[in-house]
Amino acid sequence: MPDTRADHACCDRCAGGATAARIARRRLLKAAVFRPADAGADASPNPGTQASAGAADDDAAGLRPQSKRARFATSGELPRAVTGTIIDVSPHFLVVGHGTGEERFALTPDAIAWRGGPLDPEALRPGDQAVLRLHKRARGVADRIWANIGRVTGTIVERSGEGLLVDEGRTRKRQFVTIPPRAAGRIEVRFPSLEPGYLIDVIGLRRGGALEGLIPATSQPAYRVDQMPAPALVSGHVPDAISGSATWHEPADKPPGVLGVAYPALDPEVGCAEGTGPGIPGSVRMPYLSIGSVLLVRNDCTGSSCALPVTSCAAVGRLFNDRCVTCGTSPRSRVADLTQASFIALGGELERGCFNATITIGG
Amino acid sequence: MLLSVVVREVQIPLLASLLLGSCATKLVHVLRDRSIDAAAGATALFSVHLRRPVAIVMCTTECALGIGLILTAGRIVRGAPTNAVRLGTALLFLIATCALIELRATRPDVGCGCFGDFSTAPVSGRALARSAFLAIAALITIGLPPLQPPHRGVAAILPLGIFAAELALVAALSPEIGEGLVRLGYSEPCELRTVPAEQTVAALHRSSHWRRHAAIITSDKPADMWRELCWRYVVYPGELHGRPVELVFAVFLRQHRPAIQAALVDAATGNVLPWQPGSVRPASQADRVRRLVRSPAPVFSAPTDPGPGPGPPAGPASAGADRQVRRSAVF
Repeated sequence: MPDTRADHACCDRCAGGATAARIARRRLLKAAVFRPADAGADASPNPGTQASAGAADDDAAGLRPQSKRARFATSGELPRAVTGTIIDVSPHFLVVGHGTGEERFALTPDAIAWRGGPLDPEALRPGDQAVLRLHKRARGVADRIWANIGRVTGTIVERSGEGLLVDEGRTRKRQFVTIPPRAAGRIEVRFPSLEPGYLIDVIGLRRGGALEGLIPATSQPAYRVDQMPAPALVSGHVPDAISGSATWHEPADKPPGVLGVAYPALDPEVGCAEGTGPGIPGSVRMPYLSIGSVLLVRNDCTGSSCALPVTSCAAVGRLFNDRCVTCGTSPRSRVADLTQASFIALGGELERGCFNATITIGG
Repeated sequence: MLLSVVVREVQIPLLASLLLGSCATKLVHVLRDRSIDAAAGATALFSVHLRRPVAIVMCTTECALGIGLILTAGRIVRGAPTNAVRLGTALLFLIATCALIELRATRPDVGCGCFGDFSTAPVSGRALARSAFLAIAALITIGLPPLQPPHRGVAAILPLGIFAAELALVAALSPEIGEGLVRLGYSEPCELRTVPAEQTVAALHRSSHWRRHAAIITSDKPADMWRELCWRYVVYPGELHGRPVELVFAVFLRQHRPAIQAALVDAATGNVLPWQPGSVRPASQADRVRRLVRSPAPVFSAPTDPGPGPGPPAGPASAGADRQVRRSAVF
């Protein structure tokens, strides 16, 4: 099996242990610079409440009118995701172990599980790595479970008899993908060129360090990564709201429950861009942001929306020029690469890979 | 001189200039992107491993035929080589026309790449008509006797007029002209503008804001720096009356005389502190002169830039803070 550890260099100011503190600090400092005239020194924001509440500093920073409604999601408003290892399962209950101990969840009568395909929750096995979606109103109740789900999105760098080595960008490790014969036809219809230089995006089951690709998450772009079409020139202001496809990514080395978004156009200075040519490739030119910027992400299929901080860069997301067809056809381009928890909170189904989304910068 | 002969003679410089121009724009594109793959265009018709050699052959052929047309136009080279070059040119444009028809059918999203990255628009009927027109133009030059020396006076009006008319026709059939004009007048929105951090810091260090508060700052290196839309935020550690503070500067991202806003924040509590009169250090005469020399008035100002906005802030803004300047200082 090829070495998947190669070429993994985390870029400066991308996700890391101090990301949350940095996000809070940056929001505080930005609010200080753009505070209203009548806000004296006494009206200065309190750092302790800024990061969690998010609304007061939005006003102080002079954000858009909708920012009064938008703030960081709280667990009382949106479905919450829990990640852990299944310890015990029965038709009505599920016990999950995670970093803080064990937690027992009741299952709704219509609860569905997924492990490579839909199945009854009791078919799950102890030891499976599960992502649970909790019921909106009953916190101890789960209504959706994904077991061992994984996703690999990136550029194929090597093809061997065993599988594909995929580069997920400068900020993530390389991944190894195997494609079992039963899924090969399905994947090759959507990804006809499984050759180095072409993009791949598959969802499947985690088996050890590799992913068993089962479902194509999108259709393969016709171009090689080094032959991306030039983006159209943009005149005037970039629109406040940008529509496209919102995808999800695995937590990797980050805590699994983080609510955040990987943004595909971070400031070029942080070195997160992909591509070989000068500038940043991509079908749509998106405004530059940084870690800590806030996006109001709206699921156009369900109408759910919440403000999320940019927590990392989605360098590879920019290479895709695809649409999401979960409900209607979205405009081309990936506008946000959400964490699993954010994707679930906004009503996304992990095995679908995306939902039609609209982002508003500044939240 | 017969009109038909003049028309045929005019085709030679026209075809040669177009071929050499096409080759030059492709070369510029390749050199800028440092990859032959950049000059894709119609090579998208071929399999991946053939695209690079096809691009090289295309570019070389255009260059060779362009030079060949010039060399064989006069009396130096006559006969078969002359007609071979002209026939080759006609064949090139005929093949190009067929390739464009095929490209339009199979890859409607791809541009022809005829003039490098100026030809990124999908192949249209105009591009097809241009290619067919140039093939005919090359065909009618076959068998043309050597070109006469340039005419003078009134006699020059006819060939020059025909040349200009044909050039106008080719321009009308070229989508690249529109693309070129767009680029000439294009001003990148500030949200998409690439501005190096060093440039932002240099502009900040030249500003009156910096000079005013330099006494508080305790480190030359920023503690944090990030960008959001049109602004880059630069944070410096400082000390005021023995208390650790942070100076936050928001610098608008433009080339000359960026608008700057600043705030003083208590490092421990995060409270915004009032500016201290004692921390202001007026600029010296030398500084003022240096500032004038280093910061000429902007020649062009993008329409997306904020105005200087010298007035005080007017309460909470309804639009994005990143696109506003309520308390800006232009140095």
